[in-house]
Amino acid sequence: MMIGKEITIALSGNPNSGKTTIFNNLTGLRQHVGNYPGVTVEKKTGETKYKGYKVNVVDLPGTYSLTAYSLEEIVARNFIVNEKPDVVVDIVDSSNLERNLYLAVQLMELNTPLILAFNMTDIVKKSGKKIDISLLSELFGIPIVETVGSRGLGSDKLLEAVIKVVSSRKEKKVEVKYGEEVENEIVKIISVLKEEKALTLKFDARWIAVKLLEQDRDIIDTLKKTSGPKYSKVEEVTTRAIGHITSILRDTPEIIIADGRYGFINGALREAYEEASLKKVDISEKIDRVLTNRILGIPIFALIIWLMFQFVFTLGKYPMGWIELGFGKLSVLITEIVQQGLIRSLLVDGVIGGVGGVIIFTPNIILLFFAIALLEDSGYMARAAFVMDRIMHKIGLHGKSFIPMIIGFGCTVPAYMGSRILENRRDRLVTMHINTFMSCGARLPVYILFAGAFFPAIAGNVIFSIYLIGVVMAVIMARVLRATRFKGESEPFVMELPAYRIPTLKGILIHTWERTWMYIKKAGTVILAISILMWILFTFPMIGNNYSQDYKGQVNEIEQSYQSGEITERELDESIAAIEAKMAGERLAYSAAGRMGRFLEPVFRPLGFDWKMVVATISGIAAKEVVVSTMGTLYSIQEADGQSDSLKTALYKNYHPLVGYNFMLFTLLYFPCMAGMVIFRKEAGTKEMLFQIGYTFLLAWVVAFVVFQIGRLFI
Amino acid sequence: MRKWGFRHRGGDARKTPPINNRIMTMTDAVQGEKYRIVRIDGGYRLNSRLCAMGFLPDEIFYVSGASRGGPLCVVVKGTKFAIGRGMAERIQIREI
Repeated sequence: MMIGKEITIALSGNPNSGKTTIFNNLTGLRQHVGNYPGVTVEKKTGETKYKGYKVNVVDLPGTYSLTAYSLEEIVARNFIVNEKPDVVVDIVDSSNLERNLYLAVQLMELNTPLILAFNMTDIVKKSGKKIDISLLSELFGIPIVETVGSRGLGSDKLLEAVIKVVSSRKEKKVEVKYGEEVENEIVKIISVLKEEKALTLKFDARWIAVKLLEQDRDIIDTLKKTSGPKYSKVEEVTTRAIGHITSILRDTPEIIIADGRYGFINGALREAYEEASLKKVDISEKIDRVLTNRILGIPIFALIIWLMFQFVFTLGKYPMGWIELGFGKLSVLITEIVQQGLIRSLLVDGVIGGVGGVIIFTPNIILLFFAIALLEDSGYMARAAFVMDRIMHKIGLHGKSFIPMIIGFGCTVPAYMGSRILENRRDRLVTMHINTFMSCGARLPVYILFAGAFFPAIAGNVIFSIYLIGVVMAVIMARVLRATRFKGESEPFVMELPAYRIPTLKGILIHTWERTWMYIKKAGTVILAISILMWILFTFPMIGNNYSQDYKGQVNEIEQSYQSGEITERELDESIAAIEAKMAGERLAYSAAGRMGRFLEPVFRPLGFDWKMVVATISGIAAKEVVVSTMGTLYSIQEADGQSDSLKTALYKNYHPLVGYNFMLFTLLYFPCMAGMVIFRKEAGTKEMLFQIGYTFLLAWVVAFVVFQIGRLFI
Repeated sequence: MRKWGFRHRGGDARKTPPINNRIMTMTDAVQGEKYRIVRIDGGYRLNSRLCAMGFLPDEIFYVSGASRGGPLCVVVKGTKFAIGRGMAERIQIREI
């Protein structure tokens, strides 16, 4: 028999069953991370070669079952049903057979070619228990392979088994029975289903019947859609069946059916396993007594987060310095090679300024995801969620939301990416939407400048008040979003606290690399395009000879007076720099961005802003720290930074302190930067990104409006 | 403990069921003691989820910890879960 040389296998398994490790072992670095179409569930694919076969490996989301409880479960189920992989490999944690086999039984019900990989068999052997693999394999009618993912054992045997299943295609089916009452009802439902042909094409009729009894929302909706009015008959029979079962067995069908599955598993285990026991909580239990302690839990969590923050931002400072230096050198090099003019400006100010400003965060991203992978793989992340859940629950968030929020104080971009640790989409989106208000490091220079200019004596307190307002805003908006756009009962909190494990370096490195690469790719594509666009806005139309004064003449005069010895060289340089700064200011005012500032000024008037502040706000879209240098250019001050005294003086002379404070508030509240938005879109989709941009701008405007209008009454 | 106050006050101990048959919710469980699950009342979706994780009638479990006012740590079928109070209240249990 000729068989195609390319096959697809799907890896399925419980969370914490070591599935990702097996996936990494099989595919190495030949991996691709994407999303399943239309949903934000991560799809990992990879490939490997074995005995002339090209094997595509799809890593399905980790799930406990194939009900429609979560998006992950629906995605996993639909992939198996619609894409029909040649073989599904279910990774089973052998030290916890009973519960892990629950998913295996559901896969059997789906009637897909299946192989079980009994992972972590070393732990079982160490504990002295024995599993009769061949007997179990016979009872289930499924090949079983032993693996030890953490030590890279068993991958070849697994692939061997895959090839065998693909080439033999024998139909041996072991059916799980749920007891007479349920079976009778299943038969009734099947007979109704069979009348309606369109229904059963996609799924196995028995499977649908079981799902109907379990009241699986996804299947019910699909049936309603495909069969329209004819569904009512199915519904009628199902409702009667459920009523019948419930009244006789005193439990709802989904529980009876689950019981049947466990019964099937226990029946098999009784014969093939020394004992299906409850244990395995020894060392983990001792660690948990400290880490999840009522009193110590939160302080320990705070300490770990603090360490992580230090690790990411303090350690990250050094490579960031090198990258900055590198881009600086590159700018100098380009300045030397390329003639003065548009091209040079585009390369230096647009491309290097924009992309470089994003690439510079790469060390943070690497370190952050290294830290997150470490926390996740070791098992601590689940504990952190446990410890923080009560506090976060009060503001409508999940225990884990705390981690991206803390990261947000460093940089919002990794914080958005870090929100991935939240499995529930609603939790994740709310956490992302409020993360803007955790004031990031790039906004600090703006505060230092403005607080220094207007409130020199109490600058520290003023800056602290801004940070505090950010946190308060985050809490308020979390509640508001929860009550409006992301309404719905909050996901009941139940999650596994897996046994503590020493993470494998390979797993952590692969995880870190994936995220980092995704980030770098974005910097090279979308962010490059936006940088160029921003550069065009701030460069065109060009002023040409339309300066308000004859600056060239002035420069000539000064040079002459230098040559005639009237002024020193230092005075010459200073005067020329001052003139060039004025020219830069006029060029900016003349550009599209400058005009936009003037055009939009009426919108910002009620906040007390003038057009220069508007232009600075626009430039802040590129990156918040750019606000400072834009303000500098607008006030014709060379080399402006947060410490620039001349800029501070200029600001102090031009604005009331209330306006200064208001500008800080506005900078705090509107969305962080373009890199942030690009990542936001990648993580949550275009619609959510637009919502984020719109609502943060609106909120910033409203808050600044209220503060200015009320504050004005007191001046 | 507090809940047993009425027994002494009413003085009619005969009407009270024996201790080991009393039905209560998971939130009443004493840390470290073993209990048996009697009923799960979470609706279809949640029930399926809980069953998949190993919480189903007749199953034995114990509470290994809790954060004050927050979720409970429950060990069932050899695995530890954090479970929110709202959810724990929908699981009826009794002592064994």
